[in-house]
Amino acid sequence: MIPLLSVTGLAKSYQGVRAVDGVSFEMHANEIVGIIGPNGSGKSTTVDCITGFQTADAGDVRMEGAPLQALAAWQIARAGLMRTFQTVRVYEQLTLEENLLAAMAQFDATNWLDALFRTPRLRAADSSARARARTLINMAGLTRYHDAPVGILSYGQKKLVALISALMPKPRLVILDEPVAGVNPTRIREIEAALRLLRDEGETFLIIEHNMDFIMNLCDRVIVFDQGRKLTEGTPAAVHADARVLEAYLGVRP
Amino acid sequence: MGRSKQLEAAGVVIAVALLIFLPRVSSDYVVGIAITAFTFTVAAAALNLVYGYGGLLSFAQLAFWGIGGYCTALWVMDAGGSFWTGLALAAGLNAVLAIAVGWPALRLHRDSFVIVTLAFSLLTFLVARDWVGLTRGPLGLPGLPAPTLFGTKLASTQSIYYLSLAFLVASLGVLYAIVTSRIGRTLLALKQNQPLGLAHGVSPTPYKLFAFAVSAALTGMAGGIQVFYLKIVDPSILDFYYIQAWLIMVIIGGAGTFWGVVIAGLVMAALPEVLRFSNELRMVIYGAILVVAVLALPQGIAGWLRERRIARLRATIERA
Repeated sequence: MIPLLSVTGLAKSYQGVRAVDGVSFEMHANEIVGIIGPNGSGKSTTVDCITGFQTADAGDVRMEGAPLQALAAWQIARAGLMRTFQTVRVYEQLTLEENLLAAMAQFDATNWLDALFRTPRLRAADSSARARARTLINMAGLTRYHDAPVGILSYGQKKLVALISALMPKPRLVILDEPVAGVNPTRIREIEAALRLLRDEGETFLIIEHNMDFIMNLCDRVIVFDQGRKLTEGTPAAVHADARVLEAYLGVRP
Repeated sequence: MGRSKQLEAAGVVIAVALLIFLPRVSSDYVVGIAITAFTFTVAAAALNLVYGYGGLLSFAQLAFWGIGGYCTALWVMDAGGSFWTGLALAAGLNAVLAIAVGWPALRLHRDSFVIVTLAFSLLTFLVARDWVGLTRGPLGLPGLPAPTLFGTKLASTQSIYYLSLAFLVASLGVLYAIVTSRIGRTLLALKQNQPLGLAHGVSPTPYKLFAFAVSAALTGMAGGIQVFYLKIVDPSILDFYYIQAWLIMVIIGGAGTFWGVVIAGLVMAALPEVLRFSNELRMVIYGAILVVAVLALPQGIAGWLRERRIARLRATIERA
């Protein structure tokens, strides 16, 4: 079976520093895979190289067998790979609903002329996008902010907006870069439950996160990064028991 | 139709009705000022599309204004064409130029885009002044004839007024349709957070080029109408005074808000004339009004209104 995402020998250096040094891994549809590792271990750079926000020096990235490297970031998104960012990114001055509609706009069959002349095709696409936005907004518990500019929300709420924006077009793979950093613990449980539910509905997630409980509870598989390399990979329990992981994180030798 | 839409529509109908009756109750002098206010407002609203919505500070608007003026005038004077086809040519030529200049310039950083468009305007001025064979150099083309419409000469200031008013309404209609569509929303989204736009599958260049080309076409037509009102085009049509005036309108009105800029355009174009009661001091007073406006309303009038709305909204949400 062709993996949904396959990364082979990915490498990226900055002025001689090897940020990512020959990383390889695979993901299958309907999985939740976690990436953990100390700060500066190359997690975010790996995601940036996969999603076209940075150009890898070497390596091969494929989605369902189709190479992604030659594509621009927006083309990779249109191919069905959505992502969020470590530093929260939302459209501050647009309303919550507009944020979600903007995330969806490139994924229906309408064109510029439909947009300018408000054709029936556009109105149909718009109303189904609005319905989906409403569902996701309710799921995230942000109903009362539906028409508010996202700039007025708290940091944790903006993280949720970024997350549900990425879910809008029902992408084939969603990469979340620290989705629960700065989010309160009750909310984290809710996000965990929601992601599990979405996975049961067929969604696939790759999640970078420092919150160990979150990763260990949620993920089917965990990949551990250290100094730009993949240290190990396995089930949460196996990774948790691995002495090398403890060393990478805490610098202690067992 | 929501309540705010109804208010908007009612406001437009009333404003247009008042403007239609204006020449009946005022002198040619006032009507002349209104003609300039209309062409300036279109140029400011077009600049707002590129700068306020697209986030691209374009000084090329000045070049498009001048090229529009020269193109229409030369088409009528040298090629013997009609004013109307001249206007259409000006729009088309400017759109093509915008894409030719914008495509390479958009590959650069936002700041470099400013420099490239500035250079384009300066270069256009040099061409207008020094390519004497084409443009007649510093003397320009005086004595532009009145346009004819269905065999009637639009010779009076009043008839040019109605032409300019019709152009204002049509241009603002086009711009309104764009900024309230998905395209406008995407432009605003890219301005606020381009990396997020990329992650949402947006290819930025077509959107920005589209905004740039539309604004160039409309500004060119506004320039064409302006020179036929003045009955002369010379290199002073490329004076920096123009772009400065439009930028002030966009900033005072609130970059990225449609009606704020339209209202600021109409008011600010008339203001220097209103201040003529003290001719020596009028530009000083104009400057003072500007300084106060910028200090009190850093986001423009519409930005100030938006902040008040957000504060109210925040209060309601917190109470709930």
